[in-house]
Amino acid sequence: MSSKRMATIMGVTYGIAAIMPFFVGDIRFIMHILIMCLIWAVVASCWDLIMGFAGIFSFGQVAFFVIGAYTSAILSVQWNVPSVVAILLAGVFTAGMGVIVGLPCLKLAGPYVALVTFGVHMTLMPVLRGEIGIALGSGGSQGILTIPPVNILGYTFSSANQIPTFYFTLFLSVVCTVIILAVIKSYWGTAFLALKDSEEFAMSLGVSAFKYKLMVFALTSFLTGVMGAFYGHYIGMLSTRMLELDLFCTLMVMLVVGGIGRFPGAILGAFITVTANELLAPLGAYRAVTLGALVVLLVLLLPNGVMGLWLKRSDAEA
Amino acid sequence: MLNVTDLNAYYGEAQVLKDVSISVNQGQAVVMLGPNGHGKSTLLKSICGLVEKVQGGIEYKGQDINRLATEKIVNMGVTYIAENRELFPHMTVLENLKLGAYSKNARPHEKDNLEKVLALFPRLKDRQKQVASTMSGGEAKMLAVARGLMSNADFLCIDEPSLGLQPSLRFEIFSTLKEIIDQGKTVLIVEQNIPQIIELADRIYVMEEGSISFEGSKDEAFSDDHLKEIFLGM
Amino acid sequence: MNLSEDTILLLLELTDVIISGLTNGSVYALMAVGLTLVYGVTKAFNFAYGSFFNLGGYCAWLMILATGFVGGYFSIFIAVIPLMFAVGYGLEKAMVAPLRKRADWENKVMMLTLGLSLFMDNLYVAVFGGRVKSLPTILDGALTIGEVILNYQDIMIFFMSISGILFFGWILNNTRTGMAVQAVAQNPEGAKIVGIPEKHIFASTFAISTVMVGFSGILLSQKYFISPMSGGGIMIKSWVITAFGGMGSIRGGLYAAFIIGMLEAFVGWQFGMSYTMIALFVLLLTTLVVRPQGLMGKG
Repeated sequence: MSSKRMATIMGVTYGIAAIMPFFVGDIRFIMHILIMCLIWAVVASCWDLIMGFAGIFSFGQVAFFVIGAYTSAILSVQWNVPSVVAILLAGVFTAGMGVIVGLPCLKLAGPYVALVTFGVHMTLMPVLRGEIGIALGSGGSQGILTIPPVNILGYTFSSANQIPTFYFTLFLSVVCTVIILAVIKSYWGTAFLALKDSEEFAMSLGVSAFKYKLMVFALTSFLTGVMGAFYGHYIGMLSTRMLELDLFCTLMVMLVVGGIGRFPGAILGAFITVTANELLAPLGAYRAVTLGALVVLLVLLLPNGVMGLWLKRSDAEA
Repeated sequence: MLNVTDLNAYYGEAQVLKDVSISVNQGQAVVMLGPNGHGKSTLLKSICGLVEKVQGGIEYKGQDINRLATEKIVNMGVTYIAENRELFPHMTVLENLKLGAYSKNARPHEKDNLEKVLALFPRLKDRQKQVASTMSGGEAKMLAVARGLMSNADFLCIDEPSLGLQPSLRFEIFSTLKEIIDQGKTVLIVEQNIPQIIELADRIYVMEEGSISFEGSKDEAFSDDHLKEIFLGM
Repeated sequence: MNLSEDTILLLLELTDVIISGLTNGSVYALMAVGLTLVYGVTKAFNFAYGSFFNLGGYCAWLMILATGFVGGYFSIFIAVIPLMFAVGYGLEKAMVAPLRKRADWENKVMMLTLGLSLFMDNLYVAVFGGRVKSLPTILDGALTIGEVILNYQDIMIFFMSISGILFFGWILNNTRTGMAVQAVAQNPEGAKIVGIPEKHIFASTFAISTVMVGFSGILLSQKYFISPMSGGGIMIKSWVITAFGGMGSIRGGLYAAFIIGMLEAFVGWQFGMSYTMIALFVLLLTTLVVRPQGLMGKG
């Protein structure tokens, strides 16, 4: 897809989101969903960049999100670091973790990468709940309950003043996804496509697969960490429940709905999935069951996501 | 026995076979010649159901076998003996041979066929316990042919049996092929390193760029100057 | 030799740890062999493996509820094993096989099976409730050798998992289907050529691995308990063992299972159970850095 077309789809999506407060600005519940959509749009796009474009089968995206969230929360709660600085530091720390995880596994075959990154995810829960986490200030199984909201020059972005917070999130979300778009359309993105076609050929051109993979891993970890950190400050509390498979699969649904490697499909996927997930809430205990079944069905029946459907139609028209 | 009509085969987007038609009658030995990479192997594989995208008619004993799964085709008595052998590397000679008789129609004859095959390849008889990956190229090739014979097939598609073999072994392969043909099996064979093979042929096809460029008896082939020069080395 | 009271206590504790490592290790071996087999043959990466572990446990629990434990564990195994086979076979045919034609099918299989595990785990919670369930012990009583107490339960677990592995090994080497499974693992094209129905073998292998993990689930659940959300941890453990031993290497998986069983028992004893997952992960990372192909993998 051309970058013009990608930018158009992103512009329309974010444009529609931007005017939403004029219609539903006073419905707190809907505004909250919209803010969540904006946050997850970035995380899903990061995952798409890693998996769909760089071809790294990473299962660590939620883990990095949680690492970012906890880092920033601990910094501001335990060390009184100003929220903006804490968020940036959390991003840097998460990127560092991404490199540490990426170093041993990015040279290996797909299943190993999946295994190691998912291992990070699975290890994070006992670490945060156990003595190590408590010593660091994770609050153990209770979590962190009093995270201060983001504060810029005395102005706080919290759920108390939702509309400004919404626009701040929108700004963050747009900046992050534009960075992702730029990466996809840059020399990196081209290198990745070449690597996907033929790793040998690309390497003969001097494209070092490992170096690029590590760089993209660091970048997406940074962005994911920043969004995670912001999420923590917005919600005001964190717990290890985020590490249950539930959220992980929700994120996966976003990607499958949007279409893997069909950026900006992941953004659309995030909007659709977050909204649908809220609609599924009345199902109670069966919500997660339904979500799981949805993953299975969507993987089987919707190979390229909504973008695939849409592209097929527009190709047929052309 | 086998009728291929207007066959087109593709690997991904690339078309490898273009409107290929050949026929092989019962008991015949048909030799397919042609430059490497022009689709001979693809034709044999298509017949045996080993190519994903194949259009056109493949009729065996009056039944359309195109799009049948390979195991069904093998069960009807057609077998493919691969140029690169495709053995089971960590299994012994005997285990490879026994798996050759996997299909239902071969099972009842497993014992008889094993005796016959070991008589045909005395070298394998001494090496029944040897692991396939430790065999020399020539022995592995014999094992591949032997495994093909274990399937109790009436119709053998043999792909370059002499590929990668030293000249002294080629003659051994040739005499084995002669014996197989004399036993009354129907054979479609791709082979061009053994000029004598023409002597065994009831019919000759030449494939160039995915199409049949010549078909005829061996006398006709010998009278074609172009063929003589290029493929028969005379 | 006169040993002080403390030393004797320590030695006794150590014996307990080793016994626990051996019994758990034997069950892990069974799980890992199933997983390494299915990966070696079908190249499918099954993230729902741990949920099938619990499926075995819940099937046993349901059977006891329905029949009142008539015939003991013997009848449970007779009933649950074919059921697990059928479930595994059906799932492969319905969910994994259709993906095989796609270009990035291996990734799609991982995503699908992860969704499947979310589905299964939460279905267990919805149907059976979030609390753990326990199964009757397979054999009560204990063998006392001096100061050392050996529970018959542990002996049975060890004995049954080892016989399970030997039995599957026998099937693999002595039956036509078993040989066909090995043939597909060694050379898929060659297997097709000799007329082995590849799709059937894929589904059968998947089903066999489901049986192995379901059987493991019953064995371990009667010692500990059935907990609906434990699938993820079990799955990671099986995968770490498989990667540590070398993907697709059955012998490597066996060694790795006992090493990890022991490691887990020692870490749990010395530092507490919450550290076992961390220890496993560190082991996995170290293995991948030092020897990416695993203990016995061909690299």
